[in-house]
Amino acid sequence: MTELGINLPSLIAYLLNFLILLGILYLLAYKPIIRLLDQRAERIRESLAAADQARQEATSAREAIEEQINEARREGQRLLDQAREASDRFRSEEMDRARGEAEAFIERAHTDIQRERDAAIQEVRANFGELAITAAERVIRRSLDRQAHQELISQVLEEGGSASGNGRA
Amino acid sequence: MPSGSAARNLFVLAGLGLLALLLAGAVMGVIGQKILGLGDGYVPRPEIHLPPQPVFPASVRDRHLGLTPAKDHVEEPQKDADHKEGTAAKEAQEGEAHSTPLPIMQFAVTNTLLSAWFATVMLVLFFVLGSRKKSLVPGRFQSLVETLIEAALNFCGSVLGPEMGRKAFPVVATIFFFVLFNAWLALLPFYQFLGFTKDGEIKAHLLRSAGTDLNFPLALALISFVFVEYWGIRSHGLGYFKKFFAIGGLLRLRPSGLIDAFVGFLELISEFVRIVSFTFRLFGNMTAGEILVVMITFLVPFVAVEFVFGLELLVGLIQAVIFASLTLVFLSVAVSHQEH
Repeated sequence: MTELGINLPSLIAYLLNFLILLGILYLLAYKPIIRLLDQRAERIRESLAAADQARQEATSAREAIEEQINEARREGQRLLDQAREASDRFRSEEMDRARGEAEAFIERAHTDIQRERDAAIQEVRANFGELAITAAERVIRRSLDRQAHQELISQVLEEGGSASGNGRA
Repeated sequence: MPSGSAARNLFVLAGLGLLALLLAGAVMGVIGQKILGLGDGYVPRPEIHLPPQPVFPASVRDRHLGLTPAKDHVEEPQKDADHKEGTAAKEAQEGEAHSTPLPIMQFAVTNTLLSAWFATVMLVLFFVLGSRKKSLVPGRFQSLVETLIEAALNFCGSVLGPEMGRKAFPVVATIFFFVLFNAWLALLPFYQFLGFTKDGEIKAHLLRSAGTDLNFPLALALISFVFVEYWGIRSHGLGYFKKFFAIGGLLRLRPSGLIDAFVGFLELISEFVRIVSFTFRLFGNMTAGEILVVMITFLVPFVAVEFVFGLELLVGLIQAVIFASLTLVFLSVAVSHQEH
């Protein structure tokens, strides 16, 4: 044993050396590094899961957005149609109304004219009576001269004609 | 390209220089000198010590090396030709003295123990610097250390399963890194030239690969053995010993019981023989490597030894892997459920 160099204190020194080294490396290197590796692995797993989830979310979000866009497009089309329809309806209604108003106006003008004509005729008729009476009075007061008579009548008629002409205008 | 051709020129130049050094080594080394009939070569004949030498305390070292207390101090070797011739005769008798190992109970800090401490310090520095910042996004060095740890952890897990692998990892990884660092650090140049001299020759190196001291592999083997047996008992309770004392069949007087008992006995023997095989595998490889480096340096100096260094890097790695993975395998055998 001694010839081979086996030496008990050396052996014990090597054993202690190894155990101390094991202790130091365990506390200062193995434990923290393995914890770090585990942490990192955990972190990577989480990141991958998060990325996966994010990708899914993005996909679903994109689908939702496309759906919304389509919806909006349909809605817009609908509104446009509605507006066009409303404007058409409005235009036709307005035109109808304008036409109605114009007709009513014309109608009213017609009745006004009619009524004024009637009033004028009425007035002429009334004035004509008075004129006849006035003419008769004068005839009676004067001598019944045929010539004068005729002049008188024509004078009265002239006055009445101008009076009725006034009324008609 | 100018830079490409410059690099090529440099490469060719370096190659020529190496070749010249190799030739010079072949001529100046012992082989070349003998062939040319010029003498004994310029490199002094190395002395191979199997047991490690004590370096501290100084009194033990002096007695061991046959030095007078006044003369001893650490210094680089000087090629001092004058003293060499005169002391040849004395060396012969002292050769006995400084290659005799320490008595089994005497304590001294040997050069191998010192280099084990050095390796310990370097290992601690390496891992502490690597795991100091603990950032979730690692830098290069942290990344390297973490990759090593993770690779070792995955290896443990692949042999023992993830849960048991984590429990076994600290001891197995420490064995691996300790053996590896001891082997690789021993290839550093100052292992070769720092030493205690007598008459201009290094009688004892200050540092010497711990693997060349039988106590180091023996200590690791004992650790491995105790570790394996501990987990065996812990996972099977006292039933663990049934594997070794399979005398149940023998007590019931079955003929096959004899075979079972014999197999159990073999198991028991092999359990202890592992200590010896662990010890001498590492010791043999490390010692052979060191002797090879010294001898090649002696025979063909300068460049030829670089190939041996390359080989030694590989051997150190392989031995570390073998020591750690055999421990793992024995552990997996010990904790696995036995078939009956």
